[in-house]
Amino acid sequence: MDLKKIFIIYRKEMLDLLRDKRTVITSVVIPIVLYPLIMIGFSSLMIRQETKLEQQFVDIYLQDKSVTEISSRIVDSLQTMDYVNIYYESEDYLELIQQDILHAAITISDTLGATGYELFKITITYNEAKEMSKMAYSKLRNILLEIETGLVGERLSAIQIDEEILDAIEIKADNVAPPEQMLGFIVGKILPYLLIVLTLSGGAVVASDLVAGEKERGTLETILVSAARRIELVIGKYLTIITISLITVFLNLFSMFFSFKHLMTQSGVDTSSVQLPLSNFGLILIAMLPLVTLLAAILLSISTYARNIKEAQSYQMPIIFAGMMLAMISMLPGFELTLGFALLPIINFALLFKNIMMGSFNGLHFAVVVGSTLILDILAIYVSIYLFNKESILFRTAEEDKTLKFWGKEKSNVFTSQFIVIFFVVMLLLLFYIGGSWQSKDLMEGLVKTQIFIILLPTILVLRISKNNLPQVLRLNKTRPSNYLMVLLMAVPALLTAIGIGNVINYFFPVSETYLKSMQELVGLEQKSIWMALLVIGILPGICEETMFRGYIINGFTKNGFWKAIIVSGILFGIFHLDPFRLLPASILGFYLGYLTLKTNSIFPAMLAHFSNNSLAIILGNYADKIPVLKNIFQDDQISIWYSIIALIIFIVLLRSFHKQNRTEELNFE
Amino acid sequence: MIKVDKLSKKFPQKEKDFYAVNELSFTADKGEIVVLLGVNGAGKTTTMRMLSTVLKPSSGTATVEGFDIRNKAQQVRSRLGFLSGDTGLYSRLTPREIITYFARLYDVRDNIIRERIMELSDVLDMGSFLDKKIDLLSTGMKQKVSIARSIIHDPPVMILDEPTAGLDILTARNIVEFIHKCKNQGKCVLFSTHIMREAERIADRIVMIHEGRILAEGSWSDFKKDTGLRDLDDIFIHYVNSTSEEEVSDGS
Ligand SMILES: Nc1ncnc2c1ncn2[C@@H]1O[C@H](COP(=O)(O)OP(=O)(O)OP(=O)(O)O)[C@@H](O)[C@H]1O
Ligand SMILES: [Mg+2]
Repeated sequence: MDLKKIFIIYRKEMLDLLRDKRTVITSVVIPIVLYPLIMIGFSSLMIRQETKLEQQFVDIYLQDKSVTEISSRIVDSLQTMDYVNIYYESEDYLELIQQDILHAAITISDTLGATGYELFKITITYNEAKEMSKMAYSKLRNILLEIETGLVGERLSAIQIDEEILDAIEIKADNVAPPEQMLGFIVGKILPYLLIVLTLSGGAVVASDLVAGEKERGTLETILVSAARRIELVIGKYLTIITISLITVFLNLFSMFFSFKHLMTQSGVDTSSVQLPLSNFGLILIAMLPLVTLLAAILLSISTYARNIKEAQSYQMPIIFAGMMLAMISMLPGFELTLGFALLPIINFALLFKNIMMGSFNGLHFAVVVGSTLILDILAIYVSIYLFNKESILFRTAEEDKTLKFWGKEKSNVFTSQFIVIFFVVMLLLLFYIGGSWQSKDLMEGLVKTQIFIILLPTILVLRISKNNLPQVLRLNKTRPSNYLMVLLMAVPALLTAIGIGNVINYFFPVSETYLKSMQELVGLEQKSIWMALLVIGILPGICEETMFRGYIINGFTKNGFWKAIIVSGILFGIFHLDPFRLLPASILGFYLGYLTLKTNSIFPAMLAHFSNNSLAIILGNYADKIPVLKNIFQDDQISIWYSIIALIIFIVLLRSFHKQNRTEELNFE
Repeated sequence: MIKVDKLSKKFPQKEKDFYAVNELSFTADKGEIVVLLGVNGAGKTTTMRMLSTVLKPSSGTATVEGFDIRNKAQQVRSRLGFLSGDTGLYSRLTPREIITYFARLYDVRDNIIRERIMELSDVLDMGSFLDKKIDLLSTGMKQKVSIARSIIHDPPVMILDEPTAGLDILTARNIVEFIHKCKNQGKCVLFSTHIMREAERIADRIVMIHEGRILAEGSWSDFKKDTGLRDLDDIFIHYVNSTSEEEVSDGS
């Protein structure tokens, strides 16, 4: 490996990219322009609103019942106020204030205090429900307090006492959370998420251009035959992605920070204490470098694997989405960095970032985060170099490109992996935005709508429009009755095994209590009937999710073989649950369901298995502490490890006999 | 010089592996232009890609300047100027930047690069567009840049895959003349085309290939003597037919 060559390659790639409008716009112009625009627009809107209120005249009714020398002095001061109209006569001011025609009324009367001094009683009548009235009140109150201070001062000096006698207690608000920690808390939640997403999206544009783009334009072969070694090419390109990602991230952060500061000063908030904790920035940078390089290496591998830019972009989408999901952990309440989490890429960075910002991080964790990311990073670069050396990858002939034109006359191919990935990502976005908002309005109704309109209907629609034979594609085939029996028999040990696996995962990667509570509230059945729950959580997913994953998606991968189809569709199924902690358990369930489908060449066993799994989970969740046998097995929601192992053994025995009973059917139906 | 020895390349296919190149053997010497002649899909590009080490042979081997393409890829590549048929150029860079980039990858020193660029720009008549972006150039201009790019390091062996495809006669002739000059400087040139006339004008020796195998090898006068035909196309078709007859008789 020759460093000089790497530098030559790096310099050329940078020159090439900086002349590319698309790259410059996404990584330089947008961050510089976008945030200030948003913030300035926002702040000027706020200021305008405020000044508008303050500069409107308020109408006040004034009644001076005292008519002494001092009360007329008070009236005089009131008359000097800006933006105030004072009326001295009013028929029914109470009525008028209620109608917001008059904004406040002020009545002055006086009595003699116990010590012989005059005491002015001033009543301010106003309407708390009205903005203008509230403002009139606070204006009046402020000026009256000022007058009071003046009067008290006069009285004290009349009897030759220093005004300072009044200052016996001085109250100073001192928030125990130092400003750095407060800011760190806010910044620690949102910044890590932004950093990860920005790094990914900044790198993605560049990465797709660097290898897939060269393939598309026919320049790849020219550098492959040049005297540069493959490893030099990979590293030169890899450094380019890292550089552009870092530029994007820094520009975004700086622009965001200064815009934020601008907003604060404009709105009159004291910003002297608002500083990004600069001393910690070095640490964040050190922690970030391996992450940026890991993401760059992954993006580079994708770009090398893809045949053209379009394909690279469609493969990038799920990666970006997964990155966003993992990064979101920084926004969930109560998660703390443990050694287990420190091993999980992206999640570890998000949690470490929060700790560094709060000034409370642990050196060991820091080292584990950086070290484990670096190891993955090296693996990812190795994959890139491997792909770069594989001629079957570099010289792949393009698959026929009719994937997106599936509404033509003849039956067309919606089973290419590229089309399925796009379909999956679109479904994921729908689920996230539309399904999420439905479910937050009304959970049960939202779940029903999600299953039917986001999961089932689009799948059917794609298959119908592309002129496929639905019963055949979806594998609505009969299978022997004993298979259903076997599936039912396996349901209980399968669930117990799954719970056991869940407990093991939870042991290494503890889920925070607050998070668990909020999840439990979501699935809690307090007011809902168990039948409703069985329908919504048992039957509907059994039909709808199976149709999407085992009916459609799995078929996109059967050409790669029995097991690959099961694994890929299972992982997609896991990702579809949009929860990093259910990724693994849901993927394993997905493997099992995929296996049942391909093995029997029928979707019905998987539907039954899915239904019985979810239903059993509901029943256990609600009755575990009411039925004595179950009470024995579950203690504090934990299943004893021995029961899990026994369940696993039973499950394996049953699965083996199931496997022997069924011969693998022909995979492809075309 | 190039020595090709029973070189084969098979691409895995669903039913049966497909041989794009099948036990090809020939040589090309210093100061010689050898033309690979064959129809579309004959295996010319695949052969040249193996010689330039971007594809690995399935069996057989070849040497370039004495270095084996299978295990001395680095040495082979630095002694080779390779121009592939559907070559692309970086559209946002200028010819000078591209040529300099490749020259540096070949470890040519910067002052020599400048000299070479002037030299090549003279011969290929590129002076007027050396500093324009590639985007703005015509097909012929781009092809000249590609040629300059591939031989900037003054390699002893040149492999040119259809360098005149898509060019007008003037530009094509220009390039053919240039290749002649290179030959006269003692370079070994392997040149592919499916245009018979071009093959006739430029070749010292012709290797006719069809479906990955050699049909015939020699100069045009050899071929004319051998077949008794005068038209180039007729000669080519004669050889194609004679092999398919052989296959038929083999099969019976
Ligand atoms: N990467 C590849 N994978 C599978 N088959 C390939 C690959 N590259 C080439 N082929 C096949 O090998 C055969 C020979 O191709 P090649 O490009 O060498 O022909 P050629 O003589 O250069 O043709 P042309 O005159 O059209 O350029 C063709 O049938 C082609 O389809
Ligand atoms: Mg070719």
